[in-house]
Amino acid sequence: MEKEIGKMCAEGFSFFGISNRLISHELKNILAIISETLGLLEELVELSEAGTQLKPGKLRSLSASVIEEVERANAIIRNMNTFAHSVDEFIREVDLSQAVSLMIELTQLDSTSKNTKLRLADGEACVIYTSPFFLQNLIYHAINHSLRGAGAENEIRVSFDLADNVARIVFSGIASNRIGEFPTKKEDFLAKALSAKLSLDVSAGEMHIVLPQRLSESPIQALFVQQ
Amino acid sequence: MKVLLVDDEEKFVSSLAERLWIRGFEADWATTCVEALTKAQIEDYDIAVLDVKMPRMSGIELKKMLEKIRPNMKFIFVTGHGSEEDYDIGSREASFYIIKPFKIEILIEKVKQALNI
Repeated sequence: MEKEIGKMCAEGFSFFGISNRLISHELKNILAIISETLGLLEELVELSEAGTQLKPGKLRSLSASVIEEVERANAIIRNMNTFAHSVDEFIREVDLSQAVSLMIELTQLDSTSKNTKLRLADGEACVIYTSPFFLQNLIYHAINHSLRGAGAENEIRVSFDLADNVARIVFSGIASNRIGEFPTKKEDFLAKALSAKLSLDVSAGEMHIVLPQRLSESPIQALFVQQ
Repeated sequence: MKVLLVDDEEKFVSSLAERLWIRGFEADWATTCVEALTKAQIEDYDIAVLDVKMPRMSGIELKKMLEKIRPNMKFIFVTGHGSEEDYDIGSREASFYIIKPFKIEILIEKVKQALNI
């Protein structure tokens, strides 16, 4: 049991590291845009002081650009805050839509670099009792796996449903010939911690995560009790 | 001096190009690798400033393709990452590697050093 809990902690730290890297990259891009826009603004003012006419439309556009980037940064920081709070309670009620949305936002850099859209399908609210942190970790790996095998449409759709005390998350839009090995050891381990079942439907180009509506008999709960 | 800036963040790359123009550089920009390759076939740029991470093709891959079109072109990489791994790749593959956000004076200094001017 101690070995399993140790592995869980190591995986958790690794996931936190990855998340921080992705978030800081996005924030640095935003800071670079703000820095260049304000630099340009300053130079236009200097030029106007030297006699060049300053165009109000240009100033308005640059100002709007900065406001837009501040809002973009604020949304990222809001997500970062939500993510940070996912370890407040080790096991609690989790809205699947929120957990998937958060991971889609987090992996935006990866999806953009692979030129693939991630789309969350509409569905009824689906709340389960599980570990939000490890669930997000598993969803993150599943998204990355599906991005690597995205089909010709370059769109991965994520849907979920809840029936008979079991929640199912489905990733579709994967090319059958590029689906690869799933789950790998890491995903298998996370699935064990969440009492989840992972499977592939190669012909449909789908990846499935099946979770109990209420987590029980997991090493996570042992850790929770030991606290 | 002709400079090609390539980054998928349009607002960043267009503002940077405009600031370089104000400072006397002939700066052109592209937000995709395809656009950058097309421009390099038409214009003989002295140096390209490339984002390391871009959709479809990385800056490293783009650099290799640009070199085939313009063998004398020099390169500088920019990135928001700043990981040790990125730094190693960036410094091995290009004259310089700059982490975003940066002061324009730093970029100009590196451009001049890369072109020995």
